[in-house]
Amino acid sequence: MLFFSVNVFSQDSYQAIVLNPDLQSNANAIVRSSTIDVSIEARDKIVITEQRVVTVLNERGQRHVGAVVYYDQSKSIKTLEAVVFNAFGKEIKKFKKKDFIDVSVADGVSIFTDNRARYIDYTPVSYPYTVVFNLEVISSNTAFIPQWFPIDDYYLSVEKASYKIQNQTDIPLDFKASNLEAFKIEKMSDYNYQANNLSAIKREAYSPSFYSVAPSVKFALKQFSMLGVEGDNNSWSDFGKWMSDKLIDGTQELPEIVKVEIKALTQNAKTDLEKAKIVYQFMQNKTRYISVQVGIGGWKPMLASDVDRLGYGDCKGLSNYTKALLDEVGVTSFYTIVYGGQDVRSIDASFSSLQGNHAILSIPDNNGYITLECTSQSTPFGYNANFTDDRDVLIVTPSGGEIVHTKVYSTNENSQVINSNIILDSLGGFKAKLNITSKGTQYDKYRRIEVQTEKENKLYYKDNFSDINNLQVNNMLFNNDKDNIVFKEDLDLQVDKYVTKAGDRWLMQPNFFNKFKTAPPRYKNRKLPFEIDRGFVDEDQYQITLPENVKVEALQDDVVIKNKFGEYHYSIKQTDDKNLVFKRKIIINKGQFSKEDYSAFRKFRLAIVKHDKSKIVLTTTN
Amino acid sequence: MKKLIILAFMFMSVVGQSQNFKFGKISKEELKETSHPNYPEANAVVLFKKQYTSFPFSEENGFEQETEYYERIKIYNKEGYDWATKRIELYNENSSMSQNLIGLKGYTYKLVNGKIEKSKLKNENIFKEDNNKYWSSKTFTMPGLAEGCIIEFEYKVKSTFLSIDDVVLQYDIPIKKIEIDIITPEYFNYNKFVSPRASFLPKIEESKKDRKETVVSKVRTGFYVPKSTVNSSSFVFKENVVKIYMEDLPALVDEPFTDNIDNYRAKVAFEYAFYKGPDGTIKNYATNWDKVISNIYNNEDFGGQLSKSNYFEDDVNNLIKTVATDSEKIQLIFDFVKTKIKKNDFIGYTSENGVKNAYKDGSGNTADINLMLIAMLRYAKIKANPVLLSTRNNGVPLFPTRTGFNYVVCAVETQDQLLLLDATEQHTKPNILPVKAINWQGRLIREDGTSTWVSLNPKSTSKKVVSISINLDENLSAKGKIRQFFTNYQAYNYRKNFYNKSKEDLIAYKERENPGLVVIELDTKNVKSKTKPVSETYDFTFEEAAEKIGDNIYVSPLLFLNKEENPFTQDVRGYPIDFIYPTSEKQTVTIIIPEGYKVESLPESTKLNFNDTSASFSYLIKQTGNTIQLSKNLEIIKTIILPESYSDFKSFYQFMVEKNLEKIVLKKI
Repeated sequence: MLFFSVNVFSQDSYQAIVLNPDLQSNANAIVRSSTIDVSIEARDKIVITEQRVVTVLNERGQRHVGAVVYYDQSKSIKTLEAVVFNAFGKEIKKFKKKDFIDVSVADGVSIFTDNRARYIDYTPVSYPYTVVFNLEVISSNTAFIPQWFPIDDYYLSVEKASYKIQNQTDIPLDFKASNLEAFKIEKMSDYNYQANNLSAIKREAYSPSFYSVAPSVKFALKQFSMLGVEGDNNSWSDFGKWMSDKLIDGTQELPEIVKVEIKALTQNAKTDLEKAKIVYQFMQNKTRYISVQVGIGGWKPMLASDVDRLGYGDCKGLSNYTKALLDEVGVTSFYTIVYGGQDVRSIDASFSSLQGNHAILSIPDNNGYITLECTSQSTPFGYNANFTDDRDVLIVTPSGGEIVHTKVYSTNENSQVINSNIILDSLGGFKAKLNITSKGTQYDKYRRIEVQTEKENKLYYKDNFSDINNLQVNNMLFNNDKDNIVFKEDLDLQVDKYVTKAGDRWLMQPNFFNKFKTAPPRYKNRKLPFEIDRGFVDEDQYQITLPENVKVEALQDDVVIKNKFGEYHYSIKQTDDKNLVFKRKIIINKGQFSKEDYSAFRKFRLAIVKHDKSKIVLTTTN
Repeated sequence: MKKLIILAFMFMSVVGQSQNFKFGKISKEELKETSHPNYPEANAVVLFKKQYTSFPFSEENGFEQETEYYERIKIYNKEGYDWATKRIELYNENSSMSQNLIGLKGYTYKLVNGKIEKSKLKNENIFKEDNNKYWSSKTFTMPGLAEGCIIEFEYKVKSTFLSIDDVVLQYDIPIKKIEIDIITPEYFNYNKFVSPRASFLPKIEESKKDRKETVVSKVRTGFYVPKSTVNSSSFVFKENVVKIYMEDLPALVDEPFTDNIDNYRAKVAFEYAFYKGPDGTIKNYATNWDKVISNIYNNEDFGGQLSKSNYFEDDVNNLIKTVATDSEKIQLIFDFVKTKIKKNDFIGYTSENGVKNAYKDGSGNTADINLMLIAMLRYAKIKANPVLLSTRNNGVPLFPTRTGFNYVVCAVETQDQLLLLDATEQHTKPNILPVKAINWQGRLIREDGTSTWVSLNPKSTSKKVVSISINLDENLSAKGKIRQFFTNYQAYNYRKNFYNKSKEDLIAYKERENPGLVVIELDTKNVKSKTKPVSETYDFTFEEAAEKIGDNIYVSPLLFLNKEENPFTQDVRGYPIDFIYPTSEKQTVTIIIPEGYKVESLPESTKLNFNDTSASFSYLIKQTGNTIQLSKNLEIIKTIILPESYSDFKSFYQFMVEKNLEKIVLKKI
């Protein structure tokens, strides 16, 4: 009998070889059992006990072991241990508290952080293996109560997971459960949940974010304490009020000299918007972004006067500094908490708790808000595409918090227009002049192009037009119109040989510069719905001139495709003996679609790939 | 002595003529400059870097190393702001093995309304972090930056270690002027080495000077009445002075397909070679490769690990009891070590916790694993020896030094060949080392302690052989079958990428890479084999195989297996391209012409060599009855392409890419 006698795992054996095959499919690791017990003992004391047993099936499953604890000065670690078992359930290694390696959590961005982690350094000898992890921590920070994500990533299955929270205080405890039914999760009470046999979820192209499909339960204490700073949280309004009073208030005093300077700079500005633009530019010129993760749990901004003196700060410090400057010139703005990232993730409007990972500034404008990203020295005023756009955020006002939605970049706004004159030569090469105009989400390319050297930009275009071999970039001119948020590229390109030979004929793709080369993958049985976060529209028009010795033998028919996913137009026409006009337009719509729609979407995209590279036939007379 | 003074005087006058690099002496001209006159793309430039390394003496601690650093950096624009943050790593095990940073000061200077304004580096801009038990870091970030500003900082590092860090003379931004002084007491003797592959060589001046130190000691004397007297004695000795200068260095810019850009960086390395005591006794540390090697070999963590065998004897006896030939034994023991011990995160040529512990725990560093492999092979009467080497990341060692090596593999000498073995990775084979370990040459150490260089470059060709048969139907979609064989590194790469992948994943991967492809049936062989080449076979349909335009049909004979793009896009190169191992890619295609069609035209057959036989490409196509046959071959024999040959090589590759794109034209009868 391959059993073991460690008392904490008395009820079960952790042999990996008798695993349920359903749990193995698509899984890199299996959570055999996860038990989280939380006890709220006082407004500033919470005890978290966790046992996590994970069987790792292969190398990629190692990241799910989760034998790690992140901590700062608010947490004290009581129990920390891990035991590793081989496939037969035999104990092969034991880690006591002192064996956990203690490191600073350097995130690669911060130059300093007071967050630390303790983890085990274990090199598996063979798969599968099982790790039993025990943790008990006491935290004085009750603003964060562990959320329950029984299944916390793709390719991970769960045999058994439970969560129980006991509230020993008389402070009300709020909760919010999501997606429990779809995973048949048992709710014993508002504060006690259990999950059994959850199969692994496979990642699929264009899936919604994992957080929006996975089951979860969130908790929040209505009166909490964060490193000794107490607060009430009955609503977002309360919570925002707390941030305003306890974290932000008193941090915005500016030195006299700066007050005078900013007033002088804005004295001739007529509108609030003009003033705000001047202030934003002043801030961009004066500061840079440096991440320093300190101050009450990483949530309190640096003093505005410090940012002014040092010339740097993190997202909180810089946003707060900008707000102080705006206040000084009488422009209203709100300190704002958001989930920043390419993926659209909203602050949960229906559940107030400590959320978000980034700070920005919101200026009320008509019925919406202008977002100021204060960590960049180059972003145009109010431009927030691809990072904080189209999502619910928390604005902090002196009277309380409020959830508002940031700017949505509509399909038509996100455009790229290419106009080109192309002269084909008698050897099958070409010279071309291109004008590319980009707006909306597509404007974002300026970030890269502006910082790259000339050599890097040449390689960037060679890579961009990578199906054109031996491309020479003769000239590049850029124009970044920050006021209107338009980026223009003027390119002068040359290629010795563009056409492909087929005996005496030449095959030529009239779509020279803008091809969809890939289509989303095929799934026999798609499981998840899909979504397109941001729509866009591309328009191309090329004037093609043929050399003396070349004639058109065959062109392509016009193509028009329209469906709910977008549109595609393709046309190549001969205007006279020597001239052709190529036109292409593509629209990809923003939207959320069911999994049943996926194969039609894929077909649409495959058709685009096919037409984008279709060719015309030319004949040479010599 | 006179000569020295004159030299020093001349040196002074040189400085006097050029810019003033005294701390705090920043000129408006420097601040006004908006871009580098010679390198206009530079985001920042090091105006001056100075390093002064010496060995002050104290009675408590004797000689200790102290290095003063000074840097003045001009920042032209916001992209250059990164240069205003500096991180210094410090080692601290105990008081006699430690490094300390002291005396950090710095200023940022900028022009405001025509006046120079300065911001001081303060404690609040300095961050100390303990990264782990022994290593900590100090990071500082200069305050008050603006475009066009100049930053200036200086600090000292005190070290109880004798080893002197490599002096790096080239950054990723240009350097205007650099001056390094290394002053060492005559007792500590260093060899110095200049990076031979660098495009820029420093000017080095050497001299000697006198130095005097005083030792004060208290001595208890007196027989009946104890009293103490203070003795003061002084000792005089020589110091070796090495001065290194360089001016106007361009930035070092990495290029794709380069082995390791650091090999081309201008630098000077110092190796602690020997100690010469005041009494003339000499203790050598490293002076030539033989001595370095015997030093390493006699180290308990290296040679000592090779002589232990009791811990594995039973297991190895059991393992090889039924096999007779050496090659079977080698294979069995090699595979046994691979499954028994897994590599942890560390590399190195010395054992970390000892081979015995590694054996017990099932995990060890590269040395634990490969030294154990050697010990086991020797136990089985196989002639196995360690080969010390430097990984690609570690660069090519500049001089005979223990630290020039950071990796060890096993070599088995048979009658006709040398087998290199590395058991630290799952998919390695005899003579298939991980790519990181293929770095020029390694030092083979025999049991008697003698040693010799062996080449690490793979000699045998890594082949990929593909055969495709295609049937075109009336709808112009292709049905067909593809067989692929992979040997050596081609197989190693295949295994690395696809070993753990299911058939479904493999199919999905192929379909994703090639829109329009549907893989119907897929089969792989020998992916898990220890000796055989990998093979992969699949049936497919591919809609994009042919295109009807006008009256004709245009067919790409290589379908989706084509290399349509030339990866060599740079116009010129500064550094060689490294293909690492010789390769051969051969494709044979058979196309059945559909009923009712005839061939209108075929691409021309052709053959092209690059630099005689360094690389070759051939393309042979012919029609027999209703089938078209194409046989295509690319061989890369010489694996290093020098920058001088780059443009020819690019043309060679381009020719191939264009040929691959050519179409077969079919016409309806």
